[in-house]
Amino acid sequence: MSGLKLRNVKKSFGAVDVIKGVDLDIEDKQFVVFVGPSGCGKSTLLRMIAGLEQISSGDLFIGDKRMNEVDPAHRGIAMVFQSYALYPHMTVRENMGFALKFAGRPKEEIAKRVDEAARILELGKLLDRRPGQLSGGQRQRVAIGRAIVRHPDVFLFDEPLSNLDAELRVHMRIEIARLHKELNTTIIYVTHDQVEAMTLADKIVVLRDGIIEQAGSPLELYDDPDNLFVAGFIGSPKMNLLTGTAEAGGIRLADFPEHLVPSPVAVPAGTAVTVGIRPEHFDPTGSAALDTSVEIIEHLGGETYAYARGAGSNLLTIATDNNRTLKTGDRYQARFNPASLLVFGKDGKRLR
Amino acid sequence: MAQSGLARNEHLSGWLFVMPALVLLGLFMIYPILWSLWMSFQVGRGMAFSFGGFTNIMRLTQDPVFLRALTNTLTFLAIQVPIMLVLALLFANALNDSKLWGRGLFRTAIFLPCVTSLVAYSVVFRSMFAQDGVINQFLMFAHIIASPIPWMADPFWSKVVIISAITWRWTGYNMIFYLAAMQNIDRSIYEAAKIDGVPAWARFWYITVPMLKPVILFTTVISTIGTLQLFDEPNLIPSTPGAPSDSTLTLSLYIYNLSFKFMPSFGYAATVSYVIVVMVGILTLIQFLAARERRT
Repeated sequence: MSGLKLRNVKKSFGAVDVIKGVDLDIEDKQFVVFVGPSGCGKSTLLRMIAGLEQISSGDLFIGDKRMNEVDPAHRGIAMVFQSYALYPHMTVRENMGFALKFAGRPKEEIAKRVDEAARILELGKLLDRRPGQLSGGQRQRVAIGRAIVRHPDVFLFDEPLSNLDAELRVHMRIEIARLHKELNTTIIYVTHDQVEAMTLADKIVVLRDGIIEQAGSPLELYDDPDNLFVAGFIGSPKMNLLTGTAEAGGIRLADFPEHLVPSPVAVPAGTAVTVGIRPEHFDPTGSAALDTSVEIIEHLGGETYAYARGAGSNLLTIATDNNRTLKTGDRYQARFNPASLLVFGKDGKRLR
Repeated sequence: MAQSGLARNEHLSGWLFVMPALVLLGLFMIYPILWSLWMSFQVGRGMAFSFGGFTNIMRLTQDPVFLRALTNTLTFLAIQVPIMLVLALLFANALNDSKLWGRGLFRTAIFLPCVTSLVAYSVVFRSMFAQDGVINQFLMFAHIIASPIPWMADPFWSKVVIISAITWRWTGYNMIFYLAAMQNIDRSIYEAAKIDGVPAWARFWYITVPMLKPVILFTTVISTIGTLQLFDEPNLIPSTPGAPSDSTLTLSLYIYNLSFKFMPSFGYAATVSYVIVVMVGILTLIQFLAARERRT
């Protein structure tokens, strides 16, 4: 049983604090994704779990055992690296069996486990090739195979799809999701791509500047973000964020001063706020409206996005319910339901 | 197909650019090489020589001094090159550790000998290995030996001194090649191996060494060539070049003696030079064959 517990985990390189106190519970068999912009500490946190970076303070438990000082080889983990980190002079078979040789496994067992991994990953025909003779996607599968043969309790993935092209990335994303079902183990996965996080995770951990901004299921984070950062980070296209001031009876948006937008939460008059609305929350049947002029139209076939502005310079992204007749320069009344608005205070915290 | 004027023009300026180098190479490299090949079939003394066919090659087989020099050179090669390259590899591996304190200092210290003045270091080595030199004094002080070792008077120990000297001088040079190659190895390969539970010795032996194979081949070839041409140390460190009693005499030293110290025998000296050429060729070929990828 291999859940993980992180208790006030910190990491500093000299005077620079990279991880500033992380508390996190990961349940057994959960697929957890660490996501955040580059430099947020997500890879460092993963490497601390792997044992490749020392933990400056705090406790790390894998299962029930404190692992802070345990050698990486004995933590029951396996890791897949962004660069694949394959041994270039060994064949695929040797790459996958190499670790088992040093674990003192008998030859037959090594062969059996390698064949099993090759079957799961469809690598059978490539077993006698070297990494240099494989494509990027195949190398990534070998790297995953090298992790699988060790039968770890926890898989760690460090941006495994970043070096692949867009099409292959989608394909491998599905492969990894399938693999999680088939292997039924705990996976911790680091990415900067929020789409990967949304599609793969049971639980997303959003990190910024070495602290957890919010952790929860993908839809929790999407529907109910705790702060401006998470609201802006999760979701594609991004949530529209508009500044305004609360008044009696609603919020006056800086870009749309002619309207008073009804607020879904009670905000004291005079408070500076930021209002968030997702592009798809614009709804032609909504009770409130913003008057905009359309600057750019994006036809995706199934959906049409309008990029439009009010009095200010900020462009609103609006899902137009696939309004294909819309043209650049048109006036467009973006209607929405006030209940779908999210309101954030001056400090970026959500007002509920 | 006829060349366009532009292409011809580019060809012409290309040749103009390489011409100075080609002329100099031809004059000072290719011409002497061919001339010495012709010379190696000449017999006679000084400038009075005549064509002798294979006489010089026959002379090689009956010349005890040549055979002595050949044996010495091969002994230096067989012992010194492996020791030096293994040392260089171990130093490089140790000094590649980013956590090692003062590694810049150590790297410089180990590299410095090969840019040190040859004569200065030879004088220092000669004095260190003198009968009453610091080496003997230290070994006696540490009770490792009871009486001084006659470093430069004994045929065995004099070879040890020469081997130590060239190893000291060239280890750092080879280490730099290994260090450069090691820094090109993706760090995450080692991290993956660490997580996979591969012990440190196995990471070195099964990952570092195979990945350095091209560089190891390169250093083996240049070190082999260098040691086959060994001249400076046996010329400068012993009391007289090649002493005691020719036990540090090398082929290069013998060529020098044949040309400039004894009654000049340029033809025979050229023949001995070509012995080195042939040995370099054969050994390099063997090394390339041994390092060739085994295709499965």
